[in-house]
Amino acid sequence: MTRALPLVLLLVLLLAACSPRPPVYQEQLLTFGTMVDVTLWNVDEKRGQQAVATLARDFDYMHDAWHAWHRGPLGRVNQLLPTGEFFSCPPSIVPLIRRSSELSAASGGLFNPAIGQLIRLWGFASDDPPKGPPPAPEAIRALLAKNPQMSDLELDGIQLRSRNPAVRLDFGAFAKGYAVDRAIEQLRELGIDNAIVNAGGDLRAIGRHGDRPWRVGIRHPRQPGMLAAVDIEGDESVFTSGDYERYFDYDGKRYQHIIDPRSGYPAEGLSSVTVFATQADVADAAATAITVAGPKAADWLPVARALGVTGVMLVDTEGRVQMTPSLRERIYFDVEPRPDVRFSEPL
Amino acid sequence: MGPWLTRGDWLVLIAALLLVPGLYAVYWHGSGQGLEARVWVDGKPWARLDLFREQHLDVPGVLGVSHLEIGGGQVRFTDSPCQNRQCVHTGWLSEGGDVAACLPNRVSVQIMADDPRFDSINF
Repeated sequence: MTRALPLVLLLVLLLAACSPRPPVYQEQLLTFGTMVDVTLWNVDEKRGQQAVATLARDFDYMHDAWHAWHRGPLGRVNQLLPTGEFFSCPPSIVPLIRRSSELSAASGGLFNPAIGQLIRLWGFASDDPPKGPPPAPEAIRALLAKNPQMSDLELDGIQLRSRNPAVRLDFGAFAKGYAVDRAIEQLRELGIDNAIVNAGGDLRAIGRHGDRPWRVGIRHPRQPGMLAAVDIEGDESVFTSGDYERYFDYDGKRYQHIIDPRSGYPAEGLSSVTVFATQADVADAAATAITVAGPKAADWLPVARALGVTGVMLVDTEGRVQMTPSLRERIYFDVEPRPDVRFSEPL
Repeated sequence: MGPWLTRGDWLVLIAALLLVPGLYAVYWHGSGQGLEARVWVDGKPWARLDLFREQHLDVPGVLGVSHLEIGGGQVRFTDSPCQNRQCVHTGWLSEGGDVAACLPNRVSVQIMADDPRFDSINF
């Protein structure tokens, strides 16, 4: 028997190689008009549940408070803006206005949360996407002519007024990112340093998954499964915005939810935009601004630079991929055949 | 000195070797392929599904019934009482960590895997 000992030991070692489950806590929340997926590393179930319950309360509050047309703080702001008079802005809205005004200016107005009326006219302000038909061209032209901009707002402390009565705030292209940033802050305050908060494809990751980076899949815009994979380590946001998320098809044409504030019509030419940035609110605003800018590098690259993003990957409606050289070593394609990729100039 | 291995040693060894494939099947999903899916309704766990047992499932959501098809290691929405049926357009899910949801009906399904290829999925 003693001579068999090495063999027995070998078998024991083989079995020991079957490591235990990694200590990952994962939970999904249906909130904020989307599915929020929270992944925590090295957090036990009880602590995970408590942390996610805290995030759920925050997300529910933010969704109600920041809905453009509900009877909440932002709804009230939108009711008072057309008066042109100063009024007390609810404190929860003030930081959103300040931050989104900066980003709107940096994007040259391609990210413009002041076009709330236009978004509502298209029917994309409600939680349920519209069915079409598209609105009448005269109605679109009339709203465009009023040219609402974030720079029309005057904020003095918490006193707010709009110099342009057409301004209505819709933070649909920004609030999710801002909320993800707040959620990450909240997790850090709870002592959680390794986490992913993914709000319907808009994620920010901190720390890592034990001894390896976080692995994130980017879904294919036109077929089931993944287009690409990317590793994330440290603190980074990755936002993907696609024409397959909220849209309607009418008369054989697709109308997606991102409205070009210059034309008043849905942006065209790109089926998916993925933006990398440290802050989730920057990534969110940039994904919208780049979608509006369109597939020509001469149009989207200056916007990406002005907003300070760290990487961009675009898929146009023909399935062609463009990306910034900063992503060359980071993105792995998960489809066969590997798509044809064109690299832009550096950011 | 007796034989190098006794009959008992051989029995133990053979039993141990036979055990290995069984343990492999039960505990080793290194490929990231999911074996199980979890279904949530309105934020609460509703069912755990064996992805290799073929079945059609009716899931009662807040608006009506969402239909799931399961089999061959995959799951998909085949119908749901929502307007644009994004859940149905998502198609088959087979990758550990992948999710599909009918938000209006508040029904979601996620593939579980011990070591999924992706920790989170951008869509």
